Amino acid sequence: MDKKLSEMRYEEEGRIKKIEESLRAQIAGMGIREGKDIKMMTKQPIKGPVVVSVDRSNTSIGLGLADKIIVEVKR
Amino acid sequence: MNKILLMGQPNVGKSVLFNRLAGARAIESNYPGTTVDYTKGHLMLDGKSVEIIDVPGTFSLDPKDRAEEVAVKMLEGEKDAVVVCVIDASKVERGLYLTLEVIEKGYPVIVALNMWDVAKGGNIKINAPRLEQILGVPVVPTVATRGEGLRELVVRIREAEPVEIEEILNSVGGNRSGTYS
Repeated sequence: MDKKLSEMRYEEEGRIKKIEESLRAQIAGMGIREGKDIKMMTKQPIKGPVVVSVDRSNTSIGLGLADKIIVEVKR
Repeated sequence: MNKILLMGQPNVGKSVLFNRLAGARAIESNYPGTTVDYTKGHLMLDGKSVEIIDVPGTFSLDPKDRAEEVAVKMLEGEKDAVVVCVIDASKVERGLYLTLEVIEKGYPVIVALNMWDVAKGGNIKINAPRLEQILGVPVVPTVATRGEGLRELVVRIREAEPVEIEEILNSVGGNRSGTYS
């Protein structure tokens, strides 16, 4: 099942399926690119950033950016 | 070689490495026009004193904030510099992203695979000689906090040479779109 990264639940895991073109170069330097496994670590309240784990390192991403990343969620 | 720039992503141990390399002669400077500080010092290399600069951490050369802008400007302002790319060995993919960007700009690069002990502890195995073969630049495992690998790093700075990004792509069978054959 596909969902936006911003919609993933705490501790949910998946694989990055699509990143909006305009965003790709911006987050590639953080090791976040299509095909990577990703896990939701923390969601901050009141439209705050999300913290995700990719390759065993944690990165925080603004909710606006997380809206533009599609993840295929594992079940 | 007139200058050595220490570059890397935030929190990879650049400053620890810098303090080790520059010793007590480190001095703080303020980069004009910004509020972001950088530090410079001197390193003795082949009997000559070479300026070494601790560049603010940046994820890529496509700046997203003020500190990253400073980092990119400093790199662009030092066309003759040798760049020591400091990578957190436990987050090697991210680090290689920036390293490749610096190589692509035509700078002579040497890679410090820092936090080698952390990677080892996390059961992450990196074949440094193979990585060196692929990149065509020296790759030295280091543990800056304990001073491990620093001697080799300094000795090998002079081996840093510019490499064509196409050569690296060829050696891994890839192309610019990020797909691999």
